[in-house]
Amino acid sequence: MNENAFLNDLVTDSVMSRRSFMKWSAALGGTAALVTSGFEFAEAVARDVPIAADNVVWSCCTVNCGSRCPLRYFVKDGAIIRVETDNTGDDTFGMHQVRACLRGRAIRQRIYNPDRIKYPMKRVGKRGEGKFERITWEEAWDTIANKLRDVIDQYGNEAVYVHYASGPAGTTITRAFFRRLMNCLGGFLDYYGTYSTAQIQDAMPYTYGSNVATNSIEDMANTKLVVYFGANPCETRMSGGGMNFSVQKFKRQGDARLIVIDPRYTDTAVTVADEWIPIRPGTDAALVNGLAYVMITENLQDQEFLDTYCIGFDREHMPEGYENEDSYKDYILGTGADQTPKTPQWAAEITGIPAAKIVQLAREIALTKPCYIAQGWGPQRHANGEQSVRAIAMLPILTGNVGIQGGGTGARDNSFKISVAAFPTLTNPVQTSISFYTWPEAITHPTEMTATTHGVRGKERLEVPIKFLWNYAGNALINQHSAVNETRAILEDDSLCEMIVVIENHMTASALFADILLPDTTNFEKMDIAPNGDTSNMGYAIFTEAAIEPLFETRHIYDMCQEIAKRLGVEEAFTEGRTVEDWLRYVVEQTRENNPNFPEFEAFRDMGIYKVTNPGSPSIALKSFRDDPVANPLPTPSGLIEIFSPRLHEKSQTWELPEGDVISALPMYTPTWDGLEDPNRERYPLQMITHHYKQRTHSSYGNVEWLKEAAPQELWINPIDASARGIEHGDYVYVFNDRGRTRVPAKVTNRIMPGVTSLPQGAWYTPDANGVDQNGSANILTLYRPSPLAKGNPQHTNLVQVEKA
Amino acid sequence: MFSEWPLIVFTIVMQLAVGSFVILGGIHFFAARRYGSKEADKLSDYALLAIGPAVALGIILSLLHLGNPMNAPYAIAHFGTSWLSREIILSLAFSGIGAVFALLQWRKIGSSTLRNALALIGAAVGLVLVYAISMVYQIATVPAWNTPLTTVSFFITAFLLGSLAIGAALVINYWNLRRKSADQGNTQYTMLATTLKWIALISVVLLGMQFIVIPLYLAALATNPTNAASDSLDVLFSEYGLLFVLRLVLIFLGAGVFAVFLYRMASSNGSVRVLGNLAVIAFTLVLVSEVLGRFLFYASMVRVGI
Amino acid sequence: MAKQYAFYFDSNLCTGCKACQIACKDKWDLDVGVTWRRVAEFGDGEWAVHNDGTYTQNISSYYVSVACNHCSSPECLPNCPTEAITKNEDGVVMIDESRCIGCRYCEWACPYSAPQFDAKRGVMTKCNFCYETVSQGGVPSCVAACPTRALKFGELEELQALYGTVSEVAPLPSASYTNPSLVITPHRNSAPVGTGELANPEEV
Repeated sequence: MNENAFLNDLVTDSVMSRRSFMKWSAALGGTAALVTSGFEFAEAVARDVPIAADNVVWSCCTVNCGSRCPLRYFVKDGAIIRVETDNTGDDTFGMHQVRACLRGRAIRQRIYNPDRIKYPMKRVGKRGEGKFERITWEEAWDTIANKLRDVIDQYGNEAVYVHYASGPAGTTITRAFFRRLMNCLGGFLDYYGTYSTAQIQDAMPYTYGSNVATNSIEDMANTKLVVYFGANPCETRMSGGGMNFSVQKFKRQGDARLIVIDPRYTDTAVTVADEWIPIRPGTDAALVNGLAYVMITENLQDQEFLDTYCIGFDREHMPEGYENEDSYKDYILGTGADQTPKTPQWAAEITGIPAAKIVQLAREIALTKPCYIAQGWGPQRHANGEQSVRAIAMLPILTGNVGIQGGGTGARDNSFKISVAAFPTLTNPVQTSISFYTWPEAITHPTEMTATTHGVRGKERLEVPIKFLWNYAGNALINQHSAVNETRAILEDDSLCEMIVVIENHMTASALFADILLPDTTNFEKMDIAPNGDTSNMGYAIFTEAAIEPLFETRHIYDMCQEIAKRLGVEEAFTEGRTVEDWLRYVVEQTRENNPNFPEFEAFRDMGIYKVTNPGSPSIALKSFRDDPVANPLPTPSGLIEIFSPRLHEKSQTWELPEGDVISALPMYTPTWDGLEDPNRERYPLQMITHHYKQRTHSSYGNVEWLKEAAPQELWINPIDASARGIEHGDYVYVFNDRGRTRVPAKVTNRIMPGVTSLPQGAWYTPDANGVDQNGSANILTLYRPSPLAKGNPQHTNLVQVEKA
Repeated sequence: MFSEWPLIVFTIVMQLAVGSFVILGGIHFFAARRYGSKEADKLSDYALLAIGPAVALGIILSLLHLGNPMNAPYAIAHFGTSWLSREIILSLAFSGIGAVFALLQWRKIGSSTLRNALALIGAAVGLVLVYAISMVYQIATVPAWNTPLTTVSFFITAFLLGSLAIGAALVINYWNLRRKSADQGNTQYTMLATTLKWIALISVVLLGMQFIVIPLYLAALATNPTNAASDSLDVLFSEYGLLFVLRLVLIFLGAGVFAVFLYRMASSNGSVRVLGNLAVIAFTLVLVSEVLGRFLFYASMVRVGI
Repeated sequence: MAKQYAFYFDSNLCTGCKACQIACKDKWDLDVGVTWRRVAEFGDGEWAVHNDGTYTQNISSYYVSVACNHCSSPECLPNCPTEAITKNEDGVVMIDESRCIGCRYCEWACPYSAPQFDAKRGVMTKCNFCYETVSQGGVPSCVAACPTRALKFGELEELQALYGTVSEVAPLPSASYTNPSLVITPHRNSAPVGTGELANPEEV
């Protein structure tokens, strides 16, 4: 049976039947079906021969990893039979090949996957139960359009929510159609923030005036010491054109020592670290306090920098009107309100790092000039993440490394990029937005959500509940949101949110909660433009061709939006008479208006990937401010770096926070629930983080067998903790707390510190009849509790217990 | 999951067959010299015929080990360097010669000189086969196997199982003869008792050898510097420690305790029923022990490297 | 002497990402359980716990990506009973699947787990160096895939001239078993053969 016949055969199958599943399985690996019908070695050798270029189609992997990799599909008889990646040029740096990571390379098993949703369906059982019935596209569009009209009529546009989703994060137009559709219909309740970066993007501006990056990674070649707080580019930016590649290059180009501070001995530590300092999760600010104490007591700080560029370091430099508040120096030396000197020993007991190491590290950071300090997004994804973000930034501030070559801001690294024009989504007439994370509360008790309790923006208080929820290409409806069991209960009650429309490629955990479930074409069946991921010094854009015809009854998202728009009388406003290709031509034209060097549509299409080396020098963050702070003030109220933030001081006085939550004008170490000091630690003695894992990008690719084999889901646990529980490497264990329980094999490894476990985030929630997850899905253990300031997701703040299964 | 059952059966059956064939040949040789070939034939022919089906079973089961038995004919191609090829060729040769000999012997075709010559060739091929089987496992990358002690212990297995099997078979044969006709005279009984004494002696000697070989083997493994060797020891002592002890106990009972009883009963003209029970129990205990031992042999396979 | 193709691997650059493994699987349509190129994780060191709740450690870890090393003395070849395994004129060790009986003897013999049993077809399979591609001037799939450019390929003598002659490092076996056509730049924390442990046995 050739693949084409096999695919045609599938279309006649019933949804997710056992039979079709078996057939899919048989087809995976492409020629597995061929193999059993006389596939001989001679044919295998024939596959080894490079296939002629006219069979090769450019596309890319669009998932939300922060890298962006081209994929070249070898298409035969309408099926993708092999995948290669960027092979252009001679691979010299700056025009280097953007080589896909293992996930992109496994994409055939994502396209031809037994989990693919094949037809439009409506829910027939309890919501979340996963019972669906096949319907026609007409019925689907009618149902959605009618319900949308009813909800808008009855509750207004603020009752319609477009949920955070990042499956097609790398696309230009695909990801944006829903916003345009809803804007044509009078708007929708929007969100701010993201599951990736909530705390850092909210907190950093209080210090620097904006969510600054640090210097470009190329600057690593110019520094003497690199200190990475939870930064792990070799695992979280895995592309062979991305930071993984760049950090290795520039680390080796210079002679800097690199220190990784992380609870895990990450692959970044394996590859580039000269030293690993393991630290308990959520205690980065405590370490910084200890380092600051050493620097201040030994007078190692850059006092001139602090006096010139900052407010709040000492009593002499407090902002006007706040002279009686504690300065940073007061806080650190214990001469302020808490009367606690943040000595190295104080920090040691919190962080797990010996005091002598803290003293040595403080001296090394302070005395090595320049010093490049950066943080990843792990430290901020905590209950006290906002504090850690600003605390880490204190190190380059104290040492005067901000705005200089080889220095940095203490934020995350920066890249040169070329800009591709955005798809015009039009303006949202609704001004109100909520934190991306708080949507369950906007379903259950919206009127209790105010600006000062939940950070509602654009309005003092929410007025209507979310009654209609769009979930396009995302899994944050349950799998990637915190507190799976709690969220599940909210979603199961269909009297609350009355309509959930999920548009997906695969039968994800979120898809199970759809009222109407629509099968989207994959981005391999769609034309789009994928702008660059992070690379450091090279910008690029990829033309993604529709490589194959849509499988089954899948439809292009644009068609769906257009049909709904037609039923609600806004088709013309939505399409402006354009097809998908027309819109892409429009985007290219708009891009070329700003950047005439950008190729024309057809030329771009032919080249597949368009690359540009950074024509300027590597970015040095806040250089102009450093050069002339008067002429180039920061966008803070004072124009200076605000170690003490009057704006945060005001929020600390006015915001209504749950017991234990802290907003403070100074970056402080604040103990939290499920932290080191939580009394719950008696019952749940192990901290648990949820690191990013090579098997998946969040939950994308979580159903790909090749990847599950290459990087199996497993709980990282230190041999000390494992042996205390009779656990050996490879044993199945239960990880549990009051919120839930999951079953997963243990990776007993010295690469995680004692007292800490890590369960890689994103594994697909797979409950058994008792609600015990069978797949190591981390969010069954996380708590829904928005962080104090950003109202973001604290998914690395967890206490758990582990037992042998 | 453990998947080497076909190999356990194949290697044990082939070793048992060779051991039986050789031992039986020896018995026949001595019996014929003393009591004439007719009496000797009567003693041993049925036992000889029992070997055939066992060998056939072994060879058929060995095919189950193959992923692609359709290509099995190719397996003899590489006899120049591959002990596996040689093992297969020798297995076929041994079973072929054995079958022809059995046929001739059963139908008394050809001269006894011819048959004796054939039996000698069969025995020689069989002994080389046991050697070849042992060489299959002496690959440099598996420390638990790569020792001449593998060869020694495979020969011990062959003769231990072979002799006890023949002992049991002869008693059963005699039982059968007597059932057909009550009067078998003294000759057959004397031959049987003498043979059983010798078999019991052989098995005690082989047991002694085994109890020298096993500590030597473990010592060699313990002093091997590779991780693979210590992992193999772990398998024997930790993972399957109980089985290992059980194997030693069983072989001690079968080839030691019961063999001594057998010797004493055979010396004191014990009843056929008692001799039969002892011979069968001794064989069964040793067979179970050898199967366990072979299981442990495969289970302890840990290759160097990754 | 005839040509001998070989892989070069720089352990310093390897993040253990396994793009090499997957690219190979995609090209050759290998099922789960059949993995021609694998990545071993090395682990060593231990933790000390102190009275004040702090820790010190001397942990080290690194990765080694390995396929078939097309050895000079391949253990698989002489042991194969069917002559299905051959070494061609460019030193590439090949398995002729149409001759293989699936006895898995080569799997026992090879200290790198290069021969991989394809249960569906009942035969052994193995890295063939993308020989046809390479013969036509192309690049083996794993080498072209490596995001950090840790893998290269070429003629053994040329690679040795460029990168030295190290061909063993923990957790790989001693090169003495098979004389692999492999050139390694060891990781900066590399440990000698026989020390530390293979930290991901389930993945290789």
